Amino acid sequence: MLVPASEREVWSPLAEAFERAQPRARVELVEGPNSTDLRESLYTATLLAGDDSFDLVLMDVTWAAKFAAAGWLVALDEDFRREELAALLPQALAAGRYAGRLYRLPTRSDVGVLYYRRDWLAEAGHEPPRTFAQLERTARALQRPPQRWGFAWQGAQYEGLVCFFLEVLHGHGGFWVDPATLEVGLDRPESVAALEFLAAARGGQPISPPGVTTYKEEESRRLFQDGRAVFLRNWPYAWRLSQADGSPLVGKVGVQAVVSVSGRPGAGTLGGWGLGVSRFSRQRELAVEFIRHAVSLEGQRALARASGYVPARAEAMADPELLAANPLLATLTSIHQSAAARPALPRYAVASDVLQRGLSAALAGMASAAQALGLAARETRALLSGARPRPGS
Amino acid sequence: MSSRTSRLLLLAPAALLVTVVVGLPVLRVLQLSLMRADLDGGISLAWGGLDAYARLWGDARYWTCLRNTAVFTGASVALETALGVAFALVLHQRFHGRGALRALVLLPWALPTAVMALAWAWIFNDSFGVANDLLRRLGVLERPVAWLGEPATAMAVLVLADVWKTTPFVALVVLAGLQGIPEGVLEAARVDGLTAWQRLRHVTLPLLTPALLVAVVFRAIQAYGAFDLVYVITGGGPGGSTETVSLYAFQHYFRYLDFAYGSAVAVQGVLLALLPLALLLRWARRREAR
Repeated sequence: MLVPASEREVWSPLAEAFERAQPRARVELVEGPNSTDLRESLYTATLLAGDDSFDLVLMDVTWAAKFAAAGWLVALDEDFRREELAALLPQALAAGRYAGRLYRLPTRSDVGVLYYRRDWLAEAGHEPPRTFAQLERTARALQRPPQRWGFAWQGAQYEGLVCFFLEVLHGHGGFWVDPATLEVGLDRPESVAALEFLAAARGGQPISPPGVTTYKEEESRRLFQDGRAVFLRNWPYAWRLSQADGSPLVGKVGVQAVVSVSGRPGAGTLGGWGLGVSRFSRQRELAVEFIRHAVSLEGQRALARASGYVPARAEAMADPELLAANPLLATLTSIHQSAAARPALPRYAVASDVLQRGLSAALAGMASAAQALGLAARETRALLSGARPRPGS
Repeated sequence: MSSRTSRLLLLAPAALLVTVVVGLPVLRVLQLSLMRADLDGGISLAWGGLDAYARLWGDARYWTCLRNTAVFTGASVALETALGVAFALVLHQRFHGRGALRALVLLPWALPTAVMALAWAWIFNDSFGVANDLLRRLGVLERPVAWLGEPATAMAVLVLADVWKTTPFVALVVLAGLQGIPEGVLEAARVDGLTAWQRLRHVTLPLLTPALLVAVVFRAIQAYGAFDLVYVITGGGPGGSTETVSLYAFQHYFRYLDFAYGSAVAVQGVLLALLPLALLLRWARRREAR
């Protein structure tokens, strides 16, 4: 299977353990680019050619529907017992289903969270925010631009912007696409309010740096890591780096669920990785066994130990050894329960690009939030209507 | 064996290579652009006629890409040509250390695009970038600017990065052209009392036209196909204001799995690019004939 070059150390202990248990198996880890997009292209090119180089497909959450719709994955419903599946985080598992069948099992879960500077908030007597208004107020009170900004997030035109926007959108009570009815909610007032919140964060009297519209995860994290941001929206990986030896933030960072209008814990966007079996594999049985091994408690422990990533199995999240190494897991367990998945559409990539362009245009001031979302909603509806069989054709 | 047969035989390997490497893929793209790709329980391709081209007509995103690509190509090729000619004229002079300088000027051309694109992206980062830091120290800027966050400046950064990288190429081609101009012609012009500027304007530049044309055509084709630079620096953002035709075609091929439409984007994009190039070449040939 193709893994990011930086994750070889993560997967090799698991692969070796598997080879010991299955003497006739040999797991070959092919090191691919670290960029998610490039690996997606590599998998696409290989699968498109019907090539059997990869038995296992290590997939981001949003690829499963597309790869399954293209007929490149084997349905795995019959290969796993109900109780095996029940041990996995339900949200992460559900993200691997397409058209009622299971194509991908989660090996690592991810969810958007809100980081804050515990020390600064305490000094100024601010509680961690629960609502967008509180977040904005605290950010404004504690920032000293341009040296220190209130709120860092991912605003570049790419998938990360969609992930972050969905959290703001759900926090405002809105939705993007309902995967069951294919209803589009982008031009509703909640959606416009959500985007206006983001546009205001960098407009007029900003709480976010002007360049936030060019930031991906790393740019925003570095700002926070350098002590130049009060709040940061990011994935759980940023926690480990902020608490690493030599980091200026050790003991100064709080983590919580993203905020919402109502003050209830918001819905962090679900990310994560999982494994599926290629239709062109000639080792289907062994491939399934490898997945079984990877999602087992032992496998999940080994993966999490080697990577520090968040497991996709509830027991592993409560594992004392992993908890000692990463206390954040305790918090994440509850955050996961309210996590929201991105819609599983075969044409997800197109829908996401439509939204990305609209969001980015509004954030760059090229259009108003209402205009940008109105256009994105129309384009998304056109796209989804094409996906359904047209009457009479 | 007659000389004609042996000539054909000798040409055969090259002809075969061109057919397999260039001809077949081009035909395949043409064929794909006339299909319709559906993604439902597998990728299915069905005859679609000119559907994809009709869809292009109403596709605002495609026209935006085309405009972006034209702006990028026009601006970067114009700047590269002007700077490239200037560099070549300097490097053509005899001075101490000319060999070293010629090698040095080529350096940007030798760097992989993706690597230097990443460097440019960081240079123009608003918080950590060298550009903002320098400009603020010099007192030009009061607040940091999000260069890649605004459509106009993002495009300007792309053009700058492209000019930085490929001016050496133009300089190299023009330098070769300069070396092909006989000394005697310039000498005669000098004897006739032409000033340095007049010699450049009326002797050197007209004689350089063939070399310039080669440089411009090569650069225009490359700039028109710009992909890696844009992919790394802006990813097409903000708001799709720097998305190029090749990036758009790529998205359809590899992310949307819509090969038919991606092919149509590529085919029409190439046809629209060939038009100005054909006009340019015609103009040059006419000029030569005169």
